[in-house]
Amino acid sequence: MSYLELAGLQKRYGGSVAVDDVSLSVAKGESVALLGPSGCGKTTTLRMLAGLIAPDRGTIRVDGAEITRLPAHKRNMGYVFQSYALFPHLSVARNVAFGLEERGIAKTEIARQVEEGLALVRLDGLGGRRPRELSGGQQQRVALARALVIHPSVLLLDESLSNLDAKLRDTMRHEIRSIQRSLGITTLFVTHDQVEALTMCDRIAVMNRGRIAQIGTAEDIYERPTTRFVAEFVGRANALPATRNSDGKVLLWGAAQPVAAPAQGEFDLFVRPQRMRIVPASEPAGGETVRVTGRVLRSVFVGDHVEVLVEGAGGQLAVEMPSGTPAPAEGAEVAVIWQARDSLPFAREAA
Amino acid sequence: MTGSRRLPLLLLPAGLFVLAIYAWPTLLLLRNAFNEVGPTGAMVEAWSLKTATDTFADGFTLELTLNSLQLSLSATAIALALSYPLSLFLFRTDSRFRGLLAVIAILPMLISGVVRVFGWLAILGDRGLVNTMLQSLGLISAPIKLVFNWTGVTIGLAESIMPYMVLALLAGFGQLDRTLEEASRSLGASPVRTFWRVTLPLSLPAIVLAAGLGFVLSMSAYITPKLLGGGRVFVLATEIFEQATTNTNWPVAAVLAIYTLGLLLFLLVLSNLLARSLRR
Repeated sequence: MSYLELAGLQKRYGGSVAVDDVSLSVAKGESVALLGPSGCGKTTTLRMLAGLIAPDRGTIRVDGAEITRLPAHKRNMGYVFQSYALFPHLSVARNVAFGLEERGIAKTEIARQVEEGLALVRLDGLGGRRPRELSGGQQQRVALARALVIHPSVLLLDESLSNLDAKLRDTMRHEIRSIQRSLGITTLFVTHDQVEALTMCDRIAVMNRGRIAQIGTAEDIYERPTTRFVAEFVGRANALPATRNSDGKVLLWGAAQPVAAPAQGEFDLFVRPQRMRIVPASEPAGGETVRVTGRVLRSVFVGDHVEVLVEGAGGQLAVEMPSGTPAPAEGAEVAVIWQARDSLPFAREAA
Repeated sequence: MTGSRRLPLLLLPAGLFVLAIYAWPTLLLLRNAFNEVGPTGAMVEAWSLKTATDTFADGFTLELTLNSLQLSLSATAIALALSYPLSLFLFRTDSRFRGLLAVIAILPMLISGVVRVFGWLAILGDRGLVNTMLQSLGLISAPIKLVFNWTGVTIGLAESIMPYMVLALLAGFGQLDRTLEEASRSLGASPVRTFWRVTLPLSLPAIVLAAGLGFVLSMSAYITPKLLGGGRVFVLATEIFEQATTNTNWPVAAVLAIYTLGLLLFLLVLSNLLARSLRR
C-alpha cells in the first residue's frame, strides 16, 4: 500500500530534461532518499512534490488523492529548505507558528503547539530570539520544527544538512532520523551525500540525469548496484579492466580469475577497496578468491583506515586496510585478494 | 594592509569638487541670510536675524512649507504605488529582456526636466491627448483642468521621481529572498497572504528609502511646479527662485534656501533611521 505515489513525472526546461519519467512509491511512515549528483533532477522532483513547480507530465498522489495541480499552499507538505528560509523579520516562535496561524488555529493552541515543536527539536526557551541570533544547527532545527508543527502529510528535506559542519551534521542526522521515526512521518530526503542517504533512510532512490537509476535499501544499493553509475556513485570502488576470452575464462591483470562475466570481450570489474586484502606475494589463492599481484606504490594513513595503492600489470588499485594493522612497505611485492562474489562486472561505458 | 590607510585619498577629488561647488556657495548663502534689505530694496550688509524672523513671521512661509509637503507627499505616494509593483517585477523576472526593461523604466531620468514638462503639457493640456480623447468619447463636454494647477504638478512630480524610486527599490530589495516566499506558501499561506506576511514586510526598508528619496526630490523640484503649476502653485523652491531673481531679495532667498535645506536633511536622516531600524 503506497501512501505517496509519483507516476511518470517529467519536467523540461527549454530543450533540456530536468526530470524524466520518475515514478516512485513511498509507504506511510517510510523515509526515502533521493540521492544523486548535482543536476540529476532530485531537487526538481522535490519541488514538484511541494507544488513549487508544475510538472509537464505525470501525476502525484498522496493517500489516494491526486494533488498534481494543487497549489503549494493547499498541499500541507512540510518543506525544509537548504538555506532554512527562516523569516528574518519574525521571532523563532513566530516562525514556528507561521503555518499554524495560516490554518486559523486558536492563539492559545498555537502557543502550546509552538512550545511542543520547539521542545521536540530541543530549542525550548529560544522562541523569543530572532533567527539570525541562532547558530546554523539551531536555525536548522527551527526550520524542522516549523515544518513539523503543521502535521504535514509528507516531510520534504532539501539538502537540509549540507550547510552544517561535519560534526553537527552527524548529530542532526541521528536527531532527524529519530524524530522522523517517532512521529512516523513519511519523508523524502534530497541529498548528494551518500552517508546521509545510507544512514537516514529506509530506501534510497539513486538518480542520474533526471531518472531513477536504482531504488532499494541501503544494502541493496551498496552491495548490489544494478548499474555502473550506481556502483561508481555510491561508495568507493576500483574499476578494474578485465576481458573474457572465447573459452569463458576471465582475465584480470594477466591472470585467470574465478568470476562470472556478463558477455564476451572487455568489461570492468568493480571491487570495493575495503573488501580487498593484502597478503604476501607467496600466499596462494583459495578456490573462490580473486588474486592479483603487484607492487605497493604508497600507503596513506587516513585515521580509521590505511589506504594502500598497488600497481600491477593491469594498472592501479586502492585497498583499504583497517588502521592498526601493519601496512606493507612501499615497493614491496604483494598479492591482493578478495572474494569472487565481491566483484561486480559492468560493461564499459560507451565513450 | 598598508593600502587601507591611504584609502581615504580616493575621496580627495570628489571632496575637493564638492567643497568648491557646494560647501563654499552654501556658506555664502548662510552669510547672506544674516544680511538685511534696506528700504530701497538694496541688500545691506549686516549680522542680524531680522530677515530670518521677518520671513518666519510671515504666514506665507508656513503656507509654502505646507504646499511643498503636501505636494511631495501625494507625488511620492502615487510614484510609490506605481514603482513598487514595477520594481518587484523587474527584480523577479527571468525574462531575457530584463536589462532592457530596467533601462526603459529609468529612461525618463535621462531626459531634460523641461522637455519632460512640455511632454506633459501636450498630454494633459486643454487640447491635449487626454482631454481630446475623453471629449471624442463623449465622456466630458468641457476639458478638465489637468495642468497649471495642483493636479498637473502632482502628476509631473510623481513621474519625475519614479525612475529614482525604481532604482532605490531595486537596490533595497537585496534581502528579498524568493525561498522565503516559497517557505510561506509551503506553510499554507496563499500568494496574497504571502505578499502581506513576507514580501511586503521584507521590502519595507526599501520602500522607506525610496519614499524618502522621492519625497526629498519632490520637495526640491523647481521646474515641474514652476511650469506645470503655471504660476498658480507656490512651493518653497519656486519662491526661493522668485525672491532671488525677480525680487533680487537675496537675504530672504537665502533664509528660505537654508530653511529648505535643513528641512530636507532632517527628512533624509529620518527616513534613513527608519529604514535602518526596519532592517534590523
